[in-house]
Amino acid sequence: MTKEIKNLKQFSRAAEKFEGANLLCPGCAHGMIIREILNAVDGHIVIGNSTGCIEVSTAVYPYTSWDVPWIHIGFENGSTAVAGVEAMYKALSRKQKYTGDKPKFVAFGGDGSTYDIGFQWISGCFERGHDLTYVCFDNEVYANTGGQRSGSTPIGSSTSTTPAGRVSYGKKDKKKDMLAIMAAHGSPYVAQVAPNKWKDMNKKIKQALDTEGPTFINALSACTTEWRFDCNNTVDIMDLAVDSLVFPLYEIIDGHELNITYRPKNIIPVRDYLGAQGRFKHLFKPENEHIIEQFQKDVDKKWEMLQRREEARV
Amino acid sequence: MKGWNEFEIGSVLFPFNEDGVQAQGKMREERSYTENSSRSASVAHWRVQKPVHNHDHCINCFFCWVYCPDSSILAKDDQMSGVDYVHCKGCGVCVSVCPTNPKSLLMFDENEANEEALKQWPQKEEKQK
Amino acid sequence: MALKYELSKVEVWDGNMAASHALRQAQVDVVAAYPITPSTPIVQNYGKFLSDGYIDGEFVMVESEHAAMSACVGAGAAGGRVATATSSQGFALMVEVLYQASGMRIPLVLNLVNRALAAPLNVNGDHSDMYLSRDTGWISLCAYNPQEAYDFNLMAFKIAEDLRVRIPVIVNQDGFICSHTAQNVAPLSDEEAYEFIGEYKQKNAMLDFSKPITYGAQAEEDWHFEHKAQLHHDLMNSHVVIEEVFDLFAKKTGRKYNIVEKYDMDDAEVVIVALGTTVETARVAAKKIREEGIKAGVVSLRTLRPFPYKLVAEALKDVKAIAMLDRSSPAGAMGMLFNEVGVAVLQNSTKKPILSNYIYGLGGRDMTQENLLQIYRDLDANAKANKLTHPTQQFIGLRGKKMAFN
Repeated sequence: MTKEIKNLKQFSRAAEKFEGANLLCPGCAHGMIIREILNAVDGHIVIGNSTGCIEVSTAVYPYTSWDVPWIHIGFENGSTAVAGVEAMYKALSRKQKYTGDKPKFVAFGGDGSTYDIGFQWISGCFERGHDLTYVCFDNEVYANTGGQRSGSTPIGSSTSTTPAGRVSYGKKDKKKDMLAIMAAHGSPYVAQVAPNKWKDMNKKIKQALDTEGPTFINALSACTTEWRFDCNNTVDIMDLAVDSLVFPLYEIIDGHELNITYRPKNIIPVRDYLGAQGRFKHLFKPENEHIIEQFQKDVDKKWEMLQRREEARV
Repeated sequence: MKGWNEFEIGSVLFPFNEDGVQAQGKMREERSYTENSSRSASVAHWRVQKPVHNHDHCINCFFCWVYCPDSSILAKDDQMSGVDYVHCKGCGVCVSVCPTNPKSLLMFDENEANEEALKQWPQKEEKQK
Repeated sequence: MALKYELSKVEVWDGNMAASHALRQAQVDVVAAYPITPSTPIVQNYGKFLSDGYIDGEFVMVESEHAAMSACVGAGAAGGRVATATSSQGFALMVEVLYQASGMRIPLVLNLVNRALAAPLNVNGDHSDMYLSRDTGWISLCAYNPQEAYDFNLMAFKIAEDLRVRIPVIVNQDGFICSHTAQNVAPLSDEEAYEFIGEYKQKNAMLDFSKPITYGAQAEEDWHFEHKAQLHHDLMNSHVVIEEVFDLFAKKTGRKYNIVEKYDMDDAEVVIVALGTTVETARVAAKKIREEGIKAGVVSLRTLRPFPYKLVAEALKDVKAIAMLDRSSPAGAMGMLFNEVGVAVLQNSTKKPILSNYIYGLGGRDMTQENLLQIYRDLDANAKANKLTHPTQQFIGLRGKKMAFN
């Protein structure tokens, strides 16, 4: 059972399933996302978690922050771990050895384990059609290990393996379009969400969890440590991300039906978003200004594409 | 700390002393947690500053509740009822997202008593034209 | 409900088919697997059983061996019976997750059809993958022929799932020589086999929502050592349950296995220690060489892990010369059996037998009767001289200039 949240007053009656005194950084958006997901589920839920910030912060022996069944195996296989649980559920149900309510099967992973090292495992799970929801906590960097670039890191970002320097503007390559790739798997539902847009996020989480088959959620997760902004600004930074359309909010149903779910009233310039974070600070030097321009062009192009696809209904 | 022969095999952990399904239906104050739940730990020492809540200005919008990464905003009977200072890390997100004027949550020095903090609450800010 | 498979008293099965039937009879809840030579037929047979209605568990054909073991760990943690099969490179790809499976105490069964490791790539049988499993924290059982591949699979579930053990189990059989060689196999009926293994006993199941569980926590220097030590302790003590299960199996079938198998050891003076199909070949050679007046015997292991330190020493305590035969490239050391059996013997024996090491059969090279007879003659010479009459480590069946060390 997944709740549709009408207002926050109603939401605040949720019995929390994720505990504090975890070791996530102060102001980490991961905590917001986890709460917004778990608090929306009333029935059974099982989580498979890939190695990453969440795992090393929420299950450090002898403490666990999880009030629901949770498993972590490795960096690459959070998806397959929970697929294994789902397979066991099916077998035991068929043999009438499990007679309880059907749980929600959910995998959590960062962008490192989603875009990079765990990609094959996710692809396999989606091809096989396990009934699970994969949630990527996309903070666009290997934050757990000290800020190395990932396949999700945007162009121009200064990371610990692509540091900006005398002759470099940071990461040279663009962010992978994970949502398009997951939609191309024929997934019945994929969506991008941002926890600062909680209502939009709740609707999509509900749809993802309540849809039979493998569904995918890419959740924006601002990282105070590696994006370098003050920890009280997490929500503001994510507001800038969605209002500049750097992180557009949309969904794709059955691999083709694209809906834009949030249109900023005032689209703000990409440079306002970049300027609020230390990881892009060097782009404001004259010799790097062209990257900001290119970034803006890429965002415009993507937005144009999304609008056209939404209109075309294909 | 326990020796090798004194804990459950497989390095597994259990958060509840009571039935898990029942526990999940209850609010946290009413649950029986094990010593292995991080609920039993504290991160109060992480804070340099703490958020203080002022009832007088609060409109119970629950923005602070939904955006608190550490589930440390306490709500009771649809009312915002304060801050859980055992699990609050002092990030200040709750203060940033508070929409009232003046804000209903403000950061104060960790050592400041809440009563003292409330006395220093700012007046409504005039909108600059 | 799965259909009953009518079996004859004696079937003609190769090792792979024997393993497949054992998995079917165990009514495994989840098999997650990826095909690789020479274990592929295990998975293919299983798929055929499924298609014909003989299986009502889940069969998940994943995209890699790493994913296979990952799904097995997830499924096992969920709370049911789990098994898979692999070989060689596939096993190497699984290794990361093998440590997770044992560390989380997931009692799953892995059929390891032994094959060489590249490079150069080779699909044939040697023990490189078996040796790679040594430190993974799994129980490792050794079958020498198709009948044993069947028997050990049934016993593996019972051992792994015993509440005193809860440690995953590998069942080794030699690639091709065992896995693809059809022999007479006497199976149990479906009912008898399942009854022998018993119902799966849930422990710390993720699908038990009354007891939400956290699997796979991180434990740093203040806890990691204790967890690893606990696993080692329980692995070392698992021989108690293994022996119990061997006894129960003997009562059921008349086939009695021993943790250390002794062939003609009553008066043996020179002994070969080996694993896999070579054990049977060595028994033939031992019998033959006795015609020359050489008192030959064969000692072999059923449990590579837990290593039967005391039992193997006991079996070898009165002999004069021992050859440890290793079918895996020692890669810069003495062979594993030489090191482990040798130390066990020296630590426990009052006499000091002459120890030697033979590296043989890599990548499926035949181990011939000639080779084995020659080893016994070497041992006999050592026994008579009461010292090594040749270098400690020799390569046998190798072309080119003779290779030997130490």
